[in-house]
Amino acid sequence: MSWARPVSGVIVTLHLVALALYGLATALTLAPFMGFRPAPRVLTIAIPCAGAAVHVVAVSQLTLVGLGPALSMLALCLVLLQLASERLLRGSAVSFFAAPLATGLVGLALLSGLAPGAETVGARNTWFVLHVALSALGLALMALAFIAAALYLLQFRELKARRFGQIFQLFPPLERLDQLNRVALVAGFPALTLGVLLALGYGAQFSGGLHVAKAQLVWGIFTWVVLGWAVWVRVVRHWAGRRAALASIAGFGAVLLVYVALKLTQPGAERFL
Amino acid sequence: MTTGHMEMGIKVVGVNHRTAPLDVRERFAHGAHEVPGALARVMAAGASGGVLLSTCNRTEFYLVADDEPALEAVWSLLGERLSSTPSGGAREYGYIARDRDAVRHLYRVSSGLDSIILGESQIQGQVREAWEASRAQAGPVLHRLFQTALHVGSRVRTETGLGMGTASAASAGVAVAGKIFGDLAGRSALILGAGDMAELAATCLSDQGVQITLVANRTQERARAIAERLGGKAVSLDEAWPHFATTDIALCSTAAPHAVVTWERVGTIIGARRGKALCILDLAVPRDVDPAIAQLENVFLYDVDDLQTVAAQATARRRDEIPAAERIVEDETDLFWAWYGGLGVVPTIKELRARMDDVRATEVERVLRQLDHLSPADRAQVEQFSQALLNKFLHQPTIALKKAAEEGRGYGLLEAVRRLFGMEPPA
Repeated sequence: MSWARPVSGVIVTLHLVALALYGLATALTLAPFMGFRPAPRVLTIAIPCAGAAVHVVAVSQLTLVGLGPALSMLALCLVLLQLASERLLRGSAVSFFAAPLATGLVGLALLSGLAPGAETVGARNTWFVLHVALSALGLALMALAFIAAALYLLQFRELKARRFGQIFQLFPPLERLDQLNRVALVAGFPALTLGVLLALGYGAQFSGGLHVAKAQLVWGIFTWVVLGWAVWVRVVRHWAGRRAALASIAGFGAVLLVYVALKLTQPGAERFL
Repeated sequence: MTTGHMEMGIKVVGVNHRTAPLDVRERFAHGAHEVPGALARVMAAGASGGVLLSTCNRTEFYLVADDEPALEAVWSLLGERLSSTPSGGAREYGYIARDRDAVRHLYRVSSGLDSIILGESQIQGQVREAWEASRAQAGPVLHRLFQTALHVGSRVRTETGLGMGTASAASAGVAVAGKIFGDLAGRSALILGAGDMAELAATCLSDQGVQITLVANRTQERARAIAERLGGKAVSLDEAWPHFATTDIALCSTAAPHAVVTWERVGTIIGARRGKALCILDLAVPRDVDPAIAQLENVFLYDVDDLQTVAAQATARRRDEIPAAERIVEDETDLFWAWYGGLGVVPTIKELRARMDDVRATEVERVLRQLDHLSPADRAQVEQFSQALLNKFLHQPTIALKKAAEEGRGYGLLEAVRRLFGMEPPA
């Protein structure tokens, strides 16, 4: 039985508004690299905030099955994390990567369609919604760790090369980026673990309700292992700085590559994988 | 309130980094303990208020004074400090700004617009200290002037980007270290060298909460003085090398003719840091640190050229903010001048009316003595007529004076009125 419904115009409109606001935030964020004056801080925070508010309303009306809704959820988590890291860790430069990434993800979500394409039995069940939300949060935190690592390496390179341009001026200090990377990884691992556990619990409770593809299983476990390894080297092996940043980037890159490879074997927007 | 300021305008007389070389400025510099004596001498020459602002870049007397005697006293006081007096005396190195220009000058000084390092913030504190040190002798006009100068400095720093970035090699060093460590509070630093530059940079670090653990120098005496002031320990250079294993920041500014921080001395020690970042700020010329040290992955090495590049970038950005800062200075100068111009208007108008009324009363009395046939009613009519006539005559000058005061032009007009009507300055 399926109670899938066509995506409403309101959801698409809300996504388009969020896309426009994220796009504007991206333009403001990247303006200094194009020779413009940096935008006032209040604008660089208020605009993604407004975008996130609209996006939250849009996502709350989505049926979280399929590629489009998953990407939309991921983008929302990323923007919320960007705002949180700006507020809590003064990691303002996170938006250099997070804003265009979120814009791209919302754009892709709109292109691939926001209607739940696959079977959606129980897709509005609390367990399932929590599973998707926590998994998306875990992935977004992994992406945030990647962004912090990339910013770290760029700032590291500038500092070592004694170049004092826009990156030196606008990017946060190395220690703060390292701390952001660590916090994102350490918070991301339990979120993803809980997301996976909820999926298992959900599967046991509603067996036969939602089909879990083998590719999804493989990618989920692979992502969990990679994130677990990244946390292990940071927490247990005390990796820090450049080595930890490289590990984060390699891990996130591997997760992304495996996803793309698996998706190529089973193209289509009706399922996340 | 007296009207003394009407005859005595606001003046600034002094020297700064544009008009006098360092060795002259050093001689003119006044310590805080010398300020009251110097001001007392100038005030004895006729100034009714004075503030002495003395920093490494300027020595300026702000006075409420008549032109000649007080200014002469300043030049004479400064001239006595010169080892060889040029033909023009101390005035050869100096300048005088009067009235509105003097106000604008102080506002520009407190904003950092007149500093060697454009927009530097240290001057704000120095202006405050000068005002406080001269508080007893400043008088109401200079109190107001210095109070507003601090306000102008704050406005410029908050409303424009004149103070953004870092604009000296020492503060650039702090900024670069901040880009590595983030918050510098609680970080440790060791200082090699005990010269002025080392002390200045160490003070900048200490101001950011960096703990100065060691000051190493060839001669211990000077190192001990800095170490005591900044809370560290004085050691010899050889004792400092092992500390490269633990310190976060190494600030090098010795007068050695060749590199003292060499690969042989600290390479292995730094290698044992297990990846922990080390920021080395080499402020010495010739350089103190072997550039090969920078090859170690966790070492961030910056020399004077690097730090001056950072400082120059900040200065370039600050230059764009000059017009906005100058606008604030101009607006605030207008406000002060309006206040100052209005100060003497009311007493002057009162005095003018009193004088004219005296004349009127005397003349009416004289005329009435000759017209003794007039009835009391007629005499009252004459009295009333004279008062009405006086009011008519004084109406326009009174309005003009009040309006000029509101527009900040009162000072000049008051001078003219007092001269025209022979009103003496009060004692």
